[in-house]
Amino acid sequence: MRATYVWLSRLIAIGVVLQAMFIAFGMFDIIKAVDDGKAYTSDAYNAGQSLHSIFGSIIIPLLALILLIISFFAGIPGGTKWAAITFGLVALQFALAAVSFGVPFIGLLHGLNAFALAAVAGIAGRRAQTATPRARPEAVTPA
Amino acid sequence: MTEPHDRRRGETGPPAQHGRRRLIGLVAAITATVAILGTLGYFWFASLVPSTYSVMDLGYAEGGGDPTTGHAHGGLSIATLTGPDSRPDVAVTLIAREESYALASGERVTGYTVNHTSPGPLVRATVGQLVEVTLVNDDVSDGVSLHWHGVDVPNAEDGVAGVTQDAVAPGGSHVYRFRAEQPGTYWYHSHQASEEQVMGGLYGALVVDPRQPAAGQNDVVVPVHTYAGRRAAAGRTGTQRIVATPGDQVRLRLIDTDSAPLRATVTGTPYRVVAVDGRDLNGPTDVTDPAVVVAAGGRVDLGVTVPTDGKAVRLDLGAGSAVLVGPPSAADPGPRESAATLDLLSYGTPRPTELVTAAQHPDRTFELSVGRRPAFVDGRPGLFWTMNGHTFPDVPMFMVRYGDVVVMTVKSSSSQPHPMHLHGHHALVLSRDGVAASGSPWWTDSLEVENGQSYVVAFRADNPGIWLDHCHNLKHAADGMIAHVAYEGYTTPYRVGGSAGNDPE
Repeated sequence: MRATYVWLSRLIAIGVVLQAMFIAFGMFDIIKAVDDGKAYTSDAYNAGQSLHSIFGSIIIPLLALILLIISFFAGIPGGTKWAAITFGLVALQFALAAVSFGVPFIGLLHGLNAFALAAVAGIAGRRAQTATPRARPEAVTPA
Repeated sequence: MTEPHDRRRGETGPPAQHGRRRLIGLVAAITATVAILGTLGYFWFASLVPSTYSVMDLGYAEGGGDPTTGHAHGGLSIATLTGPDSRPDVAVTLIAREESYALASGERVTGYTVNHTSPGPLVRATVGQLVEVTLVNDDVSDGVSLHWHGVDVPNAEDGVAGVTQDAVAPGGSHVYRFRAEQPGTYWYHSHQASEEQVMGGLYGALVVDPRQPAAGQNDVVVPVHTYAGRRAAAGRTGTQRIVATPGDQVRLRLIDTDSAPLRATVTGTPYRVVAVDGRDLNGPTDVTDPAVVVAAGGRVDLGVTVPTDGKAVRLDLGAGSAVLVGPPSAADPGPRESAATLDLLSYGTPRPTELVTAAQHPDRTFELSVGRRPAFVDGRPGLFWTMNGHTFPDVPMFMVRYGDVVVMTVKSSSSQPHPMHLHGHHALVLSRDGVAASGSPWWTDSLEVENGQSYVVAFRADNPGIWLDHCHNLKHAADGMIAHVAYEGYTTPYRVGGSAGNDPE
């Protein structure tokens, strides 16, 4: 349980790193298209942006959700708290993205919050690794 | 990092109490898990769209102030609402194909064609003429249909797969018949898998000429489309020349066939906006600097006079696409993109319009408010568009009766512009953000509603049937930004999905 928690938190941090890579790919792709004289329009397909959207709206939220649920059972001191903060930052990241489509400079905060998310996920994992477990609830066999 | 308090937690007290506490912890954990997964599971399940459904069962009915209104069930089939069956004046066969083709300017594109070209052939008729178009699907595997964008055709001729007809399968055909009633600029495009097919080139222009055409006027049809990142005017990328003599009056019929608004800048001479969405404006005046915005799916007709100073008129359409109008040797005034935008709300000269008076006491009052939030749509999580707070398939169906005067507020708080397209009707813009329209009557079928804007429009329910009222950013439509305007007492026998594989968006 604890190992799963640790690995999930690591995967979230890795996910954030991938997101930064995808968006850089997407951005350079747009710049190249425009430099080649192509029009980057509402209809345009952008692989980097697509991956960013899949990871951001499906994969990372799913990992954060599983981390939160695992934390209920893992008996890691502060485990639920840090998983909840991680989940909260994922939700905030959604909200910042939604606003940024209309007010692009809010995207700066979306970028900043990404680092906060990676850091918090990292802290959650590190704490889980080093903290001594409290008596874990699953040790009890319900009659 | 570790705290002594944490370390000792759960290890105090006598063993019995200890065990009970563990049990309580486990129960709490299970409860929280069930609560979270149950809530998410409920939203996920509720978002699932059946593989086949009738739009009559979709979402929820809005009565617009009429409490007797509910979802219409039963009634007259809209399949009976066909065009006249007398002898056609204009008969055209349009053959849809899925293929690789060359644009008029040479670039190769893989997508869709009509009669081996994209845009497809221009269909042209005069007011009063009966148009008959035979659509043949040569090999488009998903099936095709043709929607007459902006033409208020009888409902069964509207070309929406799964709502007004079944998609035409490869080898099949479908005949559309309608009378050309209002002079103006229109276009046709597939309304089956439309995001993919329209983007891929399955469209063309349709022009209805008045009975007495304006004498000595050059008429240029400029459908603008972006093919895989290459913006083309009438199928040509880059700068193209239209030959005209100095002093000539030229009507430039712009059609935005893309999903985003089109900004057009005219340089070299003043221009007039003579028509919007197939309706002439009253008393258009000369404009020099501002760009004119054509809503996605919308049309704007510009009137220009070819200058006598030896220069051409230049029309910049963005993304390197431009049209030069003048003698072959006329100097190019050079590319320009105006930062200013012409506001149609106050452009032209007012004229008393019966609908403005009638709209003071409407029969139905609706609101269509577009938002965006994290949600599931058909089991897929993401940031999705909402209409009146609901995501697809829980979309509103605006119920009307024949003859109703309908007032609708359309607003967006979703960070992005939405070109709202009402099928089968033209709506009159009454106000925007509380400011009453003060220019020419502005009739529209494709209205670009920007983020934060709120338009009030009115229309008369004078064309019975089941009509789409949707976002013409086709990606948004494919993500479920589709509402309907339905007439009480009518129903459709067609279904989305099913054996015909109908997929209107």
